[in-house]
Amino acid sequence: MNLLIFIGKRIFHAIFVILGLAIVIFAVARIMPGDPVRLAVGSRAPQWVVDNMREQMHLNDPIPVQFGYWLRDAAQGDFGISLVTRRNVAEDVREFFPATLELALFALTISLTGALLLGTIAARHKDKWIDNIIRIFSYLGIVTPSFVFAIIFILIFAFALDWLPAIGRLSNGVEPPPRVTGFYTIDSLLIGDLATFWDAIRHLILPALALAMASMAQEARITRSSMADNLTKDYIASARALGVSEGLIMRRFLLKPSLIPTVSIVGMDFAAGLGNAFLVELIFNWPGLSRYGMNAMLSKDLNAISAVILSFGIVFVLVNLLVDILVARLDPRISLSAGGGS
Amino acid sequence: MKRIVALSLLLLLALLLAACGAPAADSGAAADSGESASSAAPDAGEVASRQLRVSFSWPTFIDPAVGSDFSSGSALVNLYDTLVFPNPDGTISPWLAESWETSDDGLTWTFHLRQDVQFHDGSNLTASDVAYSFNRLQTIGEGYGYMFSGVDGANAVDDYTVEFTLAEPSGLFLPSLVRLYILNEDLVRANTAAEGSYGDNGDFGKDWLLTNDAGSGPYKVANFQLEEFLLMEKFDGWWGDFVENAPDQVRFIATTEAATVRTLMSNGELEISDQWQSINALENLGELEGVEIAALPSFTEFYFMLNTRLAPLDDVHCRRAMAYAFDYDTAVSLEWPGTQQSQGPVPRALGGHNPDVMTFSMDLDKAAEELAQCQYADELDQYPVEIHWISEVPDEEKFALLFQANMAEIGIPVEVVSTPWLSVVENTSAQETSPHIVTIYVSADLPEAGPILKQRYHSDTAATWSQNEWLLDEELDAAIDDSLTTIDQAERFAKYAEIQDQIAEEAPSLFIYDQVQKHAYQDYVDWPAVSGDASPLNGYFLYAANIGVHQ
Repeated sequence: MNLLIFIGKRIFHAIFVILGLAIVIFAVARIMPGDPVRLAVGSRAPQWVVDNMREQMHLNDPIPVQFGYWLRDAAQGDFGISLVTRRNVAEDVREFFPATLELALFALTISLTGALLLGTIAARHKDKWIDNIIRIFSYLGIVTPSFVFAIIFILIFAFALDWLPAIGRLSNGVEPPPRVTGFYTIDSLLIGDLATFWDAIRHLILPALALAMASMAQEARITRSSMADNLTKDYIASARALGVSEGLIMRRFLLKPSLIPTVSIVGMDFAAGLGNAFLVELIFNWPGLSRYGMNAMLSKDLNAISAVILSFGIVFVLVNLLVDILVARLDPRISLSAGGGS
Repeated sequence: MKRIVALSLLLLLALLLAACGAPAADSGAAADSGESASSAAPDAGEVASRQLRVSFSWPTFIDPAVGSDFSSGSALVNLYDTLVFPNPDGTISPWLAESWETSDDGLTWTFHLRQDVQFHDGSNLTASDVAYSFNRLQTIGEGYGYMFSGVDGANAVDDYTVEFTLAEPSGLFLPSLVRLYILNEDLVRANTAAEGSYGDNGDFGKDWLLTNDAGSGPYKVANFQLEEFLLMEKFDGWWGDFVENAPDQVRFIATTEAATVRTLMSNGELEISDQWQSINALENLGELEGVEIAALPSFTEFYFMLNTRLAPLDDVHCRRAMAYAFDYDTAVSLEWPGTQQSQGPVPRALGGHNPDVMTFSMDLDKAAEELAQCQYADELDQYPVEIHWISEVPDEEKFALLFQANMAEIGIPVEVVSTPWLSVVENTSAQETSPHIVTIYVSADLPEAGPILKQRYHSDTAATWSQNEWLLDEELDAAIDDSLTTIDQAERFAKYAEIQDQIAEEAPSLFIYDQVQKHAYQDYVDWPAVSGDASPLNGYFLYAANIGVHQ
């Protein structure tokens, strides 16, 4: 019951957060320089074409009135027409968002697995050579932008070694599976098409790895610090004094409490990764929402900008909610009903 | 727990190793032999067929009433036929129209169509389709619609005769028809949404035509994954002739990233690169085995646009002094080999270009002479000149810096300003906000000089990014209008030449260089553009029916 009340409260708060976000992005998109319609139709299109399109998009109305129209339509899932793709923005989001989500989730799997592995090893061998190597790897991972990894990976694994495909979600000639979730891996499994599933995995590896590197490095450092810190606690000393084996101490008494800061940061990393994926998507020709959003901003595609940021905002809020629930489950000292998770 | 983690890790590692080890279905060899590829690709024969793969910048619009940029133009010429076809020398040939005649007053044009042309769905192309396509383009008004603003309408006289009525005589009407792509009227009507901005015509099929074609061209849409690729396949029912080894499939890949393009090129997964690769990236591509670099003529000129309403540039002598003080040779040497300094306001590849037009070259003595006559000569430090280059085109900065250094030699203070494209568009939309100088590339949409002269210097097109000069000269406007309504080509070209002389004398712009369009391409591609056998008109370099792929 506590959990339901907690979720209800958080969703209630989230509505205000998202409304605030909507107001900010709506205003920011409209104070950017340049007439979006003129940009979309080109400098040589007759003025009447521009005027008609401005009228259709309510761009001649005062900004508060425009916001009213936008809010009314957005509440019904209608974000208007994109000036870049000339399609309904909601349709674009439905098409491109699963690609980014699939990529980000795959990256999350890689980063979390890698971080736990590296963090645990580093903590267990604290201040030894292996810890130092992992530390250097982590620093490199944190300071190197994901697009640099993307370029390095593409040059090594696609260009020099030719092991993995460089672009796209599927190989030439492989038909996308019938759309259910928009995730090619899941949709191909749903129809039992293992060949397509495998092809989709092969295409996911390089971009997901590039996207995962920074968060993996950061999470590895946090896991290592947290575990090293807990290792000095009295209850660990007691366990040792009672003759409990190091392995048992690690997996039974140390891992769970040490995961709390890692899980907290994973949520933030995942949500940030969605937005930061645009360069990785660009390099790997990945048809995702992040890249779509970047194009929208460069072209001052008002409706698309609002929809993309709002979509990422909603995911951000949801992921944070999930993280709070997870953290509360991991740490019994945190009460959900006490107002707010950690 | 430990066991689960260990097993998961092993599984992940196994997955990664197996994925890396599996043959790539993308590569031609894998498609032929790899078990994974052949099972993953139900129609693997498709992969093994002759392919032309080209990298492109997204988006690509394949609706003839919407698309007009480079990638859209290249797709449209392959999917649709037009009444006439552009030749490499700037003239046009009959195409869907076998012949035509014009009335004595030049207001009525009658075209007689071929009778053996099929659309991709097998239906016959008739005059009604031509009239529908024209009316649709003109009603929507986007893309190349602006080219037909002086045409009153089109009517089908009979099944294979179509008549156009013009508001006034136009020398550009016939060449403009290379941009009138003929749609299958019945197919578009069958896929038109009832709700839309065009009254009884609903959405005019715009939504459907975003990802489908309704053409009769040599290629048809096979698969269009937005933001990822456009795949077109050969239309066997096409009435025209494919060259030997013409590609079975044409794939436009939506990427221009240098590392990605290099990888694809090296792996033999890309035949022709996009034109947006930097000089450094092209040099790297050129080092790959079997990869050549093509420097193709284009209808694009690089200008420094001088605001003739802003001191000290409102004095022609100051402008001429700048034109004489700029080091064109160095500027040209900063570009790809084969680049030439521009001769006047019209790129030399365009029909009607005046090869004898006055051309400035660096001469500091003449610059000093002109500067002495400028009313601001004694107070130049009071009038610092700003030169704005486009932030998104980093290569432009070096030209702005060169200009700054050159002008310092004659005592004109120059500030170099980096300005985002959207701000340039905004600033040049009004005289008060237009800066002293903007550096911009401008391209012609038709193969002759008239349209670019109008676009760059006519008062009607002031307040757009394609001119910062603000000449607002009624006599010049009249001369441009007169040339455009002259039907006889020789007479029209002579008028263009006079206009170019007049503009060059006024030095409202610095004419830096005619851009060459640079592409990396595989040496197994027999590409007519390289030998000068393709029209430089936007899109026609990639007319795939004429390109041989000897894989």
